[in-house]
Amino acid sequence: MFGPQTHSEPSNGGFLSQKTNWRRITSSNPTTSATTITTITKKANNLSVKFQDLYGFSVEGNIDDVNVLNEVRERVRQQGKEWWALEASKGANWYLQPQHSSSGEGLTVPSKLTAIANTITSTMTLKKLIRKGIPPVLRPKVWLSVSGATKKRSTVPLSYYNDLLVAIEGKVTPATMQIDHDLPRTFPCHPWLDTPEGKAALRRVLVVYSFRDSDVGYCQGLNYIAALLLLVMKTEEDAFWMLAVLLENVLVNDCYTDNLSGCHVEQRVFRDLLAKKCPRISAHLEAMEFDVSLVATEWFLCLFSKSLPSETTLRVWDILFNEGAKVLFHVALAIFKMKEEELLRTHQIGDVIHILQSTTHHLFDPDELLTVAFDKIGSMTANTITKQRKKQEPAVMAELDQRLRRLNSVKMDEK
Amino acid sequence: MASIGNNSLNAKLVLLGDMGAGKSSLVLRFVKGQFLEFQESTIGAAFFSQTLAVNDATVKFEIWDTAGQERYHSLAPMYYRGAAAAIIVYDISSTESFERAKKWVQELQKQGNPNMVTALAGNKADLEDKRKVSTEEAQTYAQENGLFFMETSAKTATNVNEIFYEIARSMLFLGVLVSFTSTPATGLWCNGQSIWKCNRISHKSSKEELRTE
Ligand SMILES: Nc1nc2c(ncn2[C@@H]2O[C@H](COP(=O)(O)OP(=O)(O)OP(=O)(O)O)[C@@H](O)[C@H]2O)c(=O)[nH]1
Ligand SMILES: [Mg+2]
Repeated sequence: MFGPQTHSEPSNGGFLSQKTNWRRITSSNPTTSATTITTITKKANNLSVKFQDLYGFSVEGNIDDVNVLNEVRERVRQQGKEWWALEASKGANWYLQPQHSSSGEGLTVPSKLTAIANTITSTMTLKKLIRKGIPPVLRPKVWLSVSGATKKRSTVPLSYYNDLLVAIEGKVTPATMQIDHDLPRTFPCHPWLDTPEGKAALRRVLVVYSFRDSDVGYCQGLNYIAALLLLVMKTEEDAFWMLAVLLENVLVNDCYTDNLSGCHVEQRVFRDLLAKKCPRISAHLEAMEFDVSLVATEWFLCLFSKSLPSETTLRVWDILFNEGAKVLFHVALAIFKMKEEELLRTHQIGDVIHILQSTTHHLFDPDELLTVAFDKIGSMTANTITKQRKKQEPAVMAELDQRLRRLNSVKMDEK
Repeated sequence: MASIGNNSLNAKLVLLGDMGAGKSSLVLRFVKGQFLEFQESTIGAAFFSQTLAVNDATVKFEIWDTAGQERYHSLAPMYYRGAAAAIIVYDISSTESFERAKKWVQELQKQGNPNMVTALAGNKADLEDKRKVSTEEAQTYAQENGLFFMETSAKTATNVNEIFYEIARSMLFLGVLVSFTSTPATGLWCNGQSIWKCNRISHKSSKEELRTE
């Protein structure tokens, strides 16, 4: 997410100079398009600066990036005002889970209709508002509510999380070992995650979840998601419930289990959508034998947290929790769409990846991305996506099954 | 296509191996000359490119550094499909990682491209006091399976450049073989074209230059 990490490194030990018959060639990214060249020159002119973003991640960028980030900060403040104004007129917490069915009970038909109408207006207002961004201070409350996490939590005793914490104490499982291995490898440069408290909190959230759902246990990728959830939600327990609702209700099933079949399904759906929504890019990349899943898999598994700047990621998550997983497709398509012309000029896989990576790393302006994601990509209903998934599921199962059988035949040959 | 005479070769290389064996660290050392004590865990895969000059030829590696966790296994074919070379990495301080490496070897033998140049890297060679896998054992295994073997350390840089260099050399050598047999689509490219295609034009020059190596 946060630019290249800079550490002091042990030197190369003069190794290169000892060899005479070969050399390292440093410029590994040939500049193939005019646009790339301008960015590079600009960068060379502008001093590269290191700064912290809204969520404490250190970012390296040029002056333009800093300016964009300041603008975004200002917009976040303005957005906050809009939310406060609504609280003032509609009452605090107006957005907390509209009570669809129960609100109209016992009322006459006309007032029932008014109640429903009010709920609908509220939902629409909320949807619009959330697309423009939830102010960071309100994120925990709004996310818990709109995602259904609060409801999920209300179905178990209040002590649920703490009980689990007690139950896991001292337990060692394959999942806990992998979690321990990944703790220092999760956004290693973040000031809070790098502290013992930060690591301990992240460990507890992940370990407790691995006990809640032993099919998922621990899957790499969840470490980044849980870390970012912790930074937003501030408390472990809230982060835990957000993780639960995400895996159990928001995302496609089996995204992180066993053979990641859900993830395979999403990738196939994404490929089809790209062909439909961005046919030129899709055809061009296909001709280059470039499978978009090569890059999109990480986007979907980490929900963009490893590729987009933090505030941009969280704006995507605002919509994810309110509207569902279809936003992931919108955003992934938008990243390709934004660079259509540049991508069409590529001839090498390396150039495609370079374009996509530098685009995502510099998307400090969330609205730039989201405008394309919704206005240019056009609407996709949750229903269409569900249908697409249903269509792809058998193919994925067959493919994974066939793979397993081939692998088993590898084992048989051993004997 | 002037640069074909210079034997410029594009080659897809994939790194496979257990979670935490040091795949990303090896690539980072090779591509940027850096080492991070805490390297972010890889999700899906990460892409890098690096060009090596081997005498008069250059090999541009397009490197796919894959994720090591067992369940990511199902994504691996996407990354090793069409690869010209593979480095299978294990951690010398972990027997499980060596077992895992053997499984990768079998899988590639069965499903990878038959002309693939495969290397076995026993990484974290600097951790001598924690060693669990002996050099002899790995060496024997590598010989039996026709793999090129080296113990490496991304931390101290030992043998990191060497392993990539040896792969490049073997690939250039193989490139000659491929041009003779003209086996299609092995994942070796010359300036964006399969080498067997462009060798029809530059067959002679590339062959001669490679031979003089
Ligand atoms: N001592 C020592 N540590 C190493 C070496 N190579 C890697 N490490 C450390 O081992 C840990 C894992 O290294 P990675 O390069 O992230 O391992 P990986 O194989 O890419 O792991 P995944 O991405 O999870 O599959 C990091 O904390 C590295 O600092 C080495 O040669 N020596
Ligand atoms: Mg890695």
